[in-house]
Amino acid sequence: MAASEPAIKEGKKKVGAVCVVGGGIGGMETAISLAEAGYKVYLVEKNPSIGGTMSQLDKTFPTNDCAMCTLAPKLVGTARQKNIQLLTNAELLEVEGEPGNFRIKVLRKPRYIDVDKCTSCGTCTENCPVRSTPQIPQIIFIGPKLEPGLKARYDRIIDRYPDRKGALLPILQDFNAEYHYLPADAIRYVAERLEIPLSKVFHVATFFTAFSLTPRGRHTIKVCLGTACHVRGSTKVLEAFERKLGIKAGGTTPDGEVSLETVNCLGACALGPTVMVDEEYHPMTVSKIDQLLKKYGWGTPASAKDEGTDGGAAGDAPGEVAGKKEAPSQ
Amino acid sequence: MTKLGTVKDLEELRLKLLSRKDPNRRVIAVCAVPGCGAYGSEKVPPALREELKKRGLEGKVEVIATGCQGFCEKGPIMVIRPENILYISVKPEDVPEIIEETIVHNRVVERLLYKDPSTGQHAVHESDIPFYNYQTRNIFGNNGLIDPNSIEDYIGIGGYAALAKALTTMTPDQVVDEIKRSGLRGRGGAGFSTGQKWEFARKAKSPDGVKYVIVNGDEGDPGAYMDRSLLEGNPHSVIEGLMIGAFAIGACEGWLYVRTEYPLAIKRLYIALAQAEEYGLLGDNIFGTGFSFRIKIFRGAGAFVCGEETALLASLESRVGEPRGKPPFPAQSGLWGKPTNINNVKTWANIAPIINRGADWFNGIGTKTSKGTMIFSLVGKVNNSGLVEVPMGITLRKMVFDIGGGVPRGKKFKAVQMGGPSGGCVPDSLLDLPIDYDQLTAAGAMMGSGGMIVMDETTCMVDIAKYFLNFLRDESCGKCTPCRVGITQMHAILTDITEGRGKEGDIEMLTELADVTKNASLCLLGGTSANPVLTTLRYFKDEYLAHIRDKKCPAHVCKPLVKYSIDAGKCTGCGACARACPQQAISGEKKKPHVLDPEKCIRCGACHDTCKFGAVVLQ
Repeated sequence: MAASEPAIKEGKKKVGAVCVVGGGIGGMETAISLAEAGYKVYLVEKNPSIGGTMSQLDKTFPTNDCAMCTLAPKLVGTARQKNIQLLTNAELLEVEGEPGNFRIKVLRKPRYIDVDKCTSCGTCTENCPVRSTPQIPQIIFIGPKLEPGLKARYDRIIDRYPDRKGALLPILQDFNAEYHYLPADAIRYVAERLEIPLSKVFHVATFFTAFSLTPRGRHTIKVCLGTACHVRGSTKVLEAFERKLGIKAGGTTPDGEVSLETVNCLGACALGPTVMVDEEYHPMTVSKIDQLLKKYGWGTPASAKDEGTDGGAAGDAPGEVAGKKEAPSQ
Repeated sequence: MTKLGTVKDLEELRLKLLSRKDPNRRVIAVCAVPGCGAYGSEKVPPALREELKKRGLEGKVEVIATGCQGFCEKGPIMVIRPENILYISVKPEDVPEIIEETIVHNRVVERLLYKDPSTGQHAVHESDIPFYNYQTRNIFGNNGLIDPNSIEDYIGIGGYAALAKALTTMTPDQVVDEIKRSGLRGRGGAGFSTGQKWEFARKAKSPDGVKYVIVNGDEGDPGAYMDRSLLEGNPHSVIEGLMIGAFAIGACEGWLYVRTEYPLAIKRLYIALAQAEEYGLLGDNIFGTGFSFRIKIFRGAGAFVCGEETALLASLESRVGEPRGKPPFPAQSGLWGKPTNINNVKTWANIAPIINRGADWFNGIGTKTSKGTMIFSLVGKVNNSGLVEVPMGITLRKMVFDIGGGVPRGKKFKAVQMGGPSGGCVPDSLLDLPIDYDQLTAAGAMMGSGGMIVMDETTCMVDIAKYFLNFLRDESCGKCTPCRVGITQMHAILTDITEGRGKEGDIEMLTELADVTKNASLCLLGGTSANPVLTTLRYFKDEYLAHIRDKKCPAHVCKPLVKYSIDAGKCTGCGACARACPQQAISGEKKKPHVLDPEKCIRCGACHDTCKFGAVVLQ
């Protein structure tokens, strides 16, 4: 806003006009308040009309008010305010200057009609012959440059699905199964091969919990946090695993050996609390964890050696050390 | 393997399979699934075969590695027929004794029998145990009879006869009508009439004639695992139901949508489909009737919301699993815009028995508005946890205390959480409530997919509400604001309450937020997300008040509100707690009462779990 800090440089005059960018409910409200306070307002909106997203809503959260009832008075208010100049179908290109004195550059897109004469009757849109033909822009893909060997490996996975329709998810699952995560260049390459925008592939890759964008450990401990396990104390089991492995849920030990994950339900509810190591189920309690880690040779070797001389307490020490090690990085 | 070209071929094969079986021949059926696998059950069948081979009994005794038989608390379960002797918690080490005593000498191994905790008496047969006694295992019972990897076993117990009957003696409209008359309601949770749903899909027009049927096996509700057990234990029953549905609706392609967390179920379904194709039960011109049908498997990718049908369809089309508004319903515009019918695993498993035995048979079971049986997973703080199939209308009391055998360690029963994250908690005052769709909805809970989690006095209800909202906050897809923001805000308030920052007015704010989230959300995930909060507020308001006003957690669950200390009178100075403590917060001389330093204590509970004398006190 024009009148804000820092102080205006000497020699420059304070301008009594404000530019508001975006003609949604927030932009309109701001423009009206400023206009009522006596400022000249330029309201820039990139769409042909003001109103924004709210004009598409039925109700608004959290009061369940009718969206149009809130919006309509603001639309009328904006139009009536003499101090507001509407710049619709326009985009802000440049801002230069400093608080109190800005110069802005706005691109007004052509409307090909005389705005002053138009009554918004809509007859021209109904009669337009071009409107009903789809105008699809040509998509150009810039995929990653892959080494021939890697490319062949990626192709092998993608070619398992000759029918491209609906193949994205299975392909990503196969990548995830093979690499234990989704390598960045694989995501780009899949987008290129399937001719799906990268943003969409990324959306899918980040939406589902089965996918990871960072490398996972060679083994996975999944702690079930289902309801049945929860009431039987799975939270304590998870915390104990975190302490003993020195990693948080979702993390991987520094040696890349084991990842600790949580899962919403393993479907072994009668055994709870349950953990799954790779594909093996284990009913678990806090006191059984040492035994499990020892069986797989995880945790630090020091604890295994000390055991017996100093009782169970030694088993907990490495977790603490690792925990401290990790603390600065958090 | 010859193709079954006609219904007669199927019947001949069944009779041939039956004639091979001597009813007096010994059969050992033992469950071999991951739920039991934790106790080493997958090693039991090989050990049995090995032992039988050693004694030269190979051909005389048949070993069946079955799917889940339901009594998971005491798993693995072994049933020896024809006597129906039931052994529990069988280990590979027990195998030689079982063969020696039971198979060779016809004697019962007493130590492997179920022992009634109250009377101390041993039970030899399934029917002697209350856990089985109150059940009606129409759908689930076959799990114990067959090897899920063998289509012959399924055909041997009358499998695919319902499909044959539907294809050759009924018209699609008659099938729809039969299902409608049976009163079967969707077993996935919402309880919509299956027959009506089919009718919509049957009547929907598809320009190119393509329609789809889908099995919803995205069993996401924490605490429910009967879909997994059905898919793993009797995959053909689901496939047969799906085929009958496809015939009724006019679909040519089916999909099995299974959670990625269930690798064994996916494996067994692939085997089942391959076998059905070999027999010509899937493919073109099935039984020579001109009906052609194919099934594909789709692995989910880990998103709870994909259990919602429109989100499931989106992910099946490889899009992000976000639900959309209805209408259009999938029956009009579903997978790839074609008319589609989606039902839960259990719903599909109910179809073949209804066609076989008729709508009237099914109609005779259950209550006025809810027919048939329902499979529940009875888990949590209950003695006999496992999967139980009971007629609709059974009371909660019977479920928890008769079948479930009550709450372990003499603790007091508090509530049953039903219907997963969308359901609610039912308190002990409603124990005599008959379980059916409408009664549960009236009590604020939901049938859901049949999860039944028993809670005792050591469960904090505020914590449970927080737990579910945390779950839903993670799983909300974020598309619509009421669900995304509403759940987050409710969770924030509950976190404050459980961490001692609760204040007056929180309950009112929770109620208001719950109301908005419930009414304004796009799909049922948000629409039912308030249920855990609303039911715990309705039945356990005093616990909320204890947290907010007295800053106390009556169940000693909410860590910031709990203090650990050692009762000097009870402490024997054994030092076990000090060794278990990861923080070295406990100190004291040997054989003298120990002291706990509250500054160092991280409230992990290790000392409390370790102490054999009950000297670690929670306040």
